[in-house]
Amino acid sequence: MSLADQAPPRASRGATKTAGPTSWIERIPAAWWAAALVLLAMPLVANNFWLFQVMGWTFILGMIAVSLTFLAGYGGMVSLLQMSIAGLAGYMVAILGPSGTTSISLGLSWWIVLPAAFLIAAIFATLSGALAVRTEGIYTIMITLAIAAAFFYFTRQNYTIFNGYSGFNLVLPPRLFGVDWRDPVAFYYLCLGCAALCYGAVVYVSRSPFGLALQGVRDNPRRMAALGFNVTAHRVAAHAFASIFASMGGILLVWQNAQIAPGTIGISSAIDVLVVAVVGGMRRPLGAFVGAFIYVILQTFSPDVLGAFGFSAERFKLIIGIGFLAVVLFSPDGVMGLWDRWRARAARRVDPLTGQPR
Amino acid sequence: MEKFAKNHPLWTLVIALLVAGFLWLVFAPWPPELEAAVGRKRIFLNALLGGITLGALYFLVASGFTLIFGLMRTVNLAHGSLFLLGGYIGYEVATQSGSWLLAFPVVFVVVGFLGLVMQRFIFSHMEGEELRQTLVSIGLSIVLADLMLWFWGGQSYTTLAPALLRGPVELPIISSINPTSGEAIYIRYPSVRIWILVAAIVIGLAMWLVLNRTSLGMVIRAGVDDREMLAASGVRIKLVFLAVFVFGAGLAGMAGIIGGTFQSLSPGEDTRFLLASLVVVIVGGMGSIAGAAIGAIIIGVTEQMGLVYAPTYSVVFTFLIMAAVLAFRPQGLLGAGR
Amino acid sequence: MSLSTVNERPGQMNSGNALELRGITKMFGALAAIADVTISVRPGERRAVLGSNGAGKTTLFNCITGDFPATSGIIRFFGEDVTAFPPYERIRRGLRRTYQISSLFAGLTVIDNVYLACRGVSRNRYSLLRPRSDDALVHAAEMLVEAVHLTAVKDRLVGELAYGQQRQLEIALAMSGAPRFILFDEPAAGLSPTERRDLVTILTSLPAHIGYIVIEHDMDVALRVVESVTMMHNGRVFKEGKPSEIEDDPEVQELYLGGGHG
Repeated sequence: MSLADQAPPRASRGATKTAGPTSWIERIPAAWWAAALVLLAMPLVANNFWLFQVMGWTFILGMIAVSLTFLAGYGGMVSLLQMSIAGLAGYMVAILGPSGTTSISLGLSWWIVLPAAFLIAAIFATLSGALAVRTEGIYTIMITLAIAAAFFYFTRQNYTIFNGYSGFNLVLPPRLFGVDWRDPVAFYYLCLGCAALCYGAVVYVSRSPFGLALQGVRDNPRRMAALGFNVTAHRVAAHAFASIFASMGGILLVWQNAQIAPGTIGISSAIDVLVVAVVGGMRRPLGAFVGAFIYVILQTFSPDVLGAFGFSAERFKLIIGIGFLAVVLFSPDGVMGLWDRWRARAARRVDPLTGQPR
Repeated sequence: MEKFAKNHPLWTLVIALLVAGFLWLVFAPWPPELEAAVGRKRIFLNALLGGITLGALYFLVASGFTLIFGLMRTVNLAHGSLFLLGGYIGYEVATQSGSWLLAFPVVFVVVGFLGLVMQRFIFSHMEGEELRQTLVSIGLSIVLADLMLWFWGGQSYTTLAPALLRGPVELPIISSINPTSGEAIYIRYPSVRIWILVAAIVIGLAMWLVLNRTSLGMVIRAGVDDREMLAASGVRIKLVFLAVFVFGAGLAGMAGIIGGTFQSLSPGEDTRFLLASLVVVIVGGMGSIAGAAIGAIIIGVTEQMGLVYAPTYSVVFTFLIMAAVLAFRPQGLLGAGR
Repeated sequence: MSLSTVNERPGQMNSGNALELRGITKMFGALAAIADVTISVRPGERRAVLGSNGAGKTTLFNCITGDFPATSGIIRFFGEDVTAFPPYERIRRGLRRTYQISSLFAGLTVIDNVYLACRGVSRNRYSLLRPRSDDALVHAAEMLVEAVHLTAVKDRLVGELAYGQQRQLEIALAMSGAPRFILFDEPAAGLSPTERRDLVTILTSLPAHIGYIVIEHDMDVALRVVESVTMMHNGRVFKEGKPSEIEDDPEVQELYLGGGHG
């Protein structure tokens, strides 16, 4: 279907190529080392607001968005459920672990709570994924949007488990290794580590048998079946696998806000995840994090800018909407696509033999 | 129908019994035991009628959505925004001019024109790129939602129905029997809601007639069934697409006036009606007007019944119906096989 | 245990055929694309299915692989009734096919395409671990790429390949794993004379235990690589026999050979 035409990441080029004589460390480009250094050294220069709010939220949103990038870019399935899955994992941490709502929260230990949260979110993702893959292509967006909405309204109306409108507050991370993980610096490194893990996992798995098969399913499901693959099972498995990243983001999100309520998983949040992934570009997993950074920067600083021009801070949504429209209309592969094209043009201006500008 | 009865005698019996039981529930006065068990008949009837009226409103919104999807494969996620915009404009026209009826042609023209701009200048340039069209429509809905919030603020508006349509009417359905006099008490129901139902039926029939009895309708149906054939047959397809989009948008706008009259308008209603359209169309089947009608009634009645009898889980019922349809008949109740 | 004896697959014992079709019919609406087709092919046998356009040849392939399930009839593959199996189950039992219009993964490289084909009929399809460079399947994939003369372009994206190369890759995909029977759908279509000679070499040098059915319009190719021929006309089997018999049959000549070349 045309979904596949939209976002064909080509990360798999030479996936099964036999390794050359250089080790994998040597093959990492210098730009990556620089980026890693900047990210690791950031707490030396940035203030707590920047570390905790801006960067923390960027990594979290990026993790949730990268789960969509995985599904859409490699699997050709655009799901609006990833925020709901993140929210469910967050809710599970609040319900099974300790929170301010002692009448509901079970207060279990973290080593039960965290695996259970991942597991329950994965089960939810598998079941809803199984429903969504009953149909193909563009239907997926509609069905996942409807399921996301149903889950949102359910959490809002259900008081016995999800505590309705008010949700849960005082949901704090466990104090592991004597570290207060809500301390801005510690939380920054926690998010950075998790985000790097998610990014690495997506890149790695994209070239594994499962990841390759998923790209095959995206490009040509019928042929995949004629090669011995169970297409439906692969699609459902992709939903389950992507839920891991969303859950990780969701759990960190609860810890960052110290609370979770239906508003966190509302329709507009579900759509925001799509906006982030598309603006960043779904061809490459990095796009999710780039998109998240742009989104968070806009959200954080546009109220001041808008205020300076005499607009209400609410016009932020207008900026996001227009920006999103501009990206979809003029650069369907997002900011990363723009970047790639700019690089390609720059490379053409450089003489391939001498490396000097022509 | 005869064929169905011959092939599935058991199912026919079950369906006949269910229909008979339902008719009895509606028309017969309820025995005291039943009222003790599930509550007053008046409440049941009100929920049922409310559900059907809501279904009529959902149908008006969803029929445009399903036609646009069926013909152009465009999932217009800004459809709810057109509904809300129509409602707001209708409110302004009705209060400024004092004429509720005048709001309808004005809204149809204004919102239809917006639909024309969307289709002519945006969607028609990305034909066949379903995902991109959908993403654009999401962007449009974000922009429209914020613009509407800017102009009309966060408060809720209710458009006043004209005096003629206000007040209740008595329906020939027995609500209960007065125990002292033995007189039958008939159900009273707001007349505006009856008119909404009538209007939806008239519009639905008109659409059915246009689709099944005119050459334009033939083109549209052929397009829904087989897009290549349409392109090959040399019909001026762009014009047909445009007409359907404008009509669907205008209809959503007019539904907004009705929604603003019998419920209210506020930010968030756009998403609500978009979701209702999605569920209605998933249940009824993409691109099918009759499917939209059946889906709308099912969802409307389920929602109202749920609100009355199990308020906590009313959303879940709607969702379960959708999930069941997807699991057993992914193309929807009246949808064509893919 | 006793369950397995009760559950004895009925087709298992009664024939030594690689592929057995009984009364296969495929309806599209009221139109029968193929009607009551009965064909048996021995293991290792190589057969051509000939017929004009619309005779139902590709539909027959689609029914055999399960791409479109047959409306009625029975399909046995090496004795096992596979009529109700989804395509991937049939493929895992050693059935393969190529497509008339190349059906490849344009966004993946040549080697990844073949690797996927090898992976599809092996275990660990869901593995999240990248294959090591000494992985047996990677090796098998490289051998196959070699066999269809594509080693030079193995790291290119399939979307960038020339038409003839895509046809060769199509055949490599069908030869992955341990095929027992292959369906070739017009493998020579669109190939140059040189490429056609290559194709004949590839087909005739397949291991003797691998049987196949080939749909082909080019009689020079078709009759050189098969030992038996089935003629189809209007969705029905019209004639069966040796290539020489079919070539000489006056009815066939009038219907197909004469009309086709005249």
